[in-house]
Amino acid sequence: MNRRNFMGFGVLAMATLPAVLSAFESIDFRKTKPDVWKAKTVDDAIKALYGDIKPEEKGVKVKAPKVASNGGAVPVTVKSDIPAKTVAFFQNMDPESAVVVWNIPEDAVIDYFMKIKLKATDENGGNGELTAIVEGKDGKFYIGKTKLQVAKGGCEG
Amino acid sequence: MGNMKIKAKEKNGVVGVKVLIKHDMLTYDQAKKKGVDANFITHITAKVGDKIVYDASTSQFLSKNPMLKFKFKGAKKGDELTISWVDLSGKSVTESKKIK
Repeated sequence: MNRRNFMGFGVLAMATLPAVLSAFESIDFRKTKPDVWKAKTVDDAIKALYGDIKPEEKGVKVKAPKVASNGGAVPVTVKSDIPAKTVAFFQNMDPESAVVVWNIPEDAVIDYFMKIKLKATDENGGNGELTAIVEGKDGKFYIGKTKLQVAKGGCEG
Repeated sequence: MGNMKIKAKEKNGVVGVKVLIKHDMLTYDQAKKKGVDANFITHITAKVGDKIVYDASTSQFLSKNPMLKFKFKGAKKGDELTISWVDLSGKSVTESKKIK
């Protein structure tokens, strides 16, 4: 069953690759930007993904609880009304910074929720911070941040 | 037996999707402690027909059995939403659900 699915996926991926350029295609940022996922700081991860950018602090909202009691599943929402090409989401508590990079389709509504793992914030002086960057279709970059505390880490397993 | 729990609902032209995926999402640190290989979902894609409506490259820091919600336009009730994920080991799962 799984094997069959996997094969199917592979064939599908190959079939869609040479499709017309104007069509929206899936991008695997883990393959196209491998250094993003190894970066230990948010700044380095942003640099690895977008280069030397100076994002404007507007139009991007990151929502999270002020204090997360369980770092194993912290609910987080990234929202923006900016017409975007990509959106990237980072945090400064875990060993590496990148969490998700979204490739944004034409009909997307950027209101993305997920549950994530975060280490306890007492390990980094209580400065837990979540950062989202929007790469706008206008070629500009926008940034949104929010601070939080994580009482009990969720990365230790 | 499904791997994913998918709910997709259209309201005023916007489809809201909620997905629960069964996956250990084993980080490098956790895997090291257990003496096994890290394995986590690395990519999640959702489509309606052959049109991509959600495309995420993900790291080890999604929670265990991750939950996602996302929204998109341009689909109607009755359309089929197909969600696929692939993990570090190369395993892939695809499941579909009709939009309500």
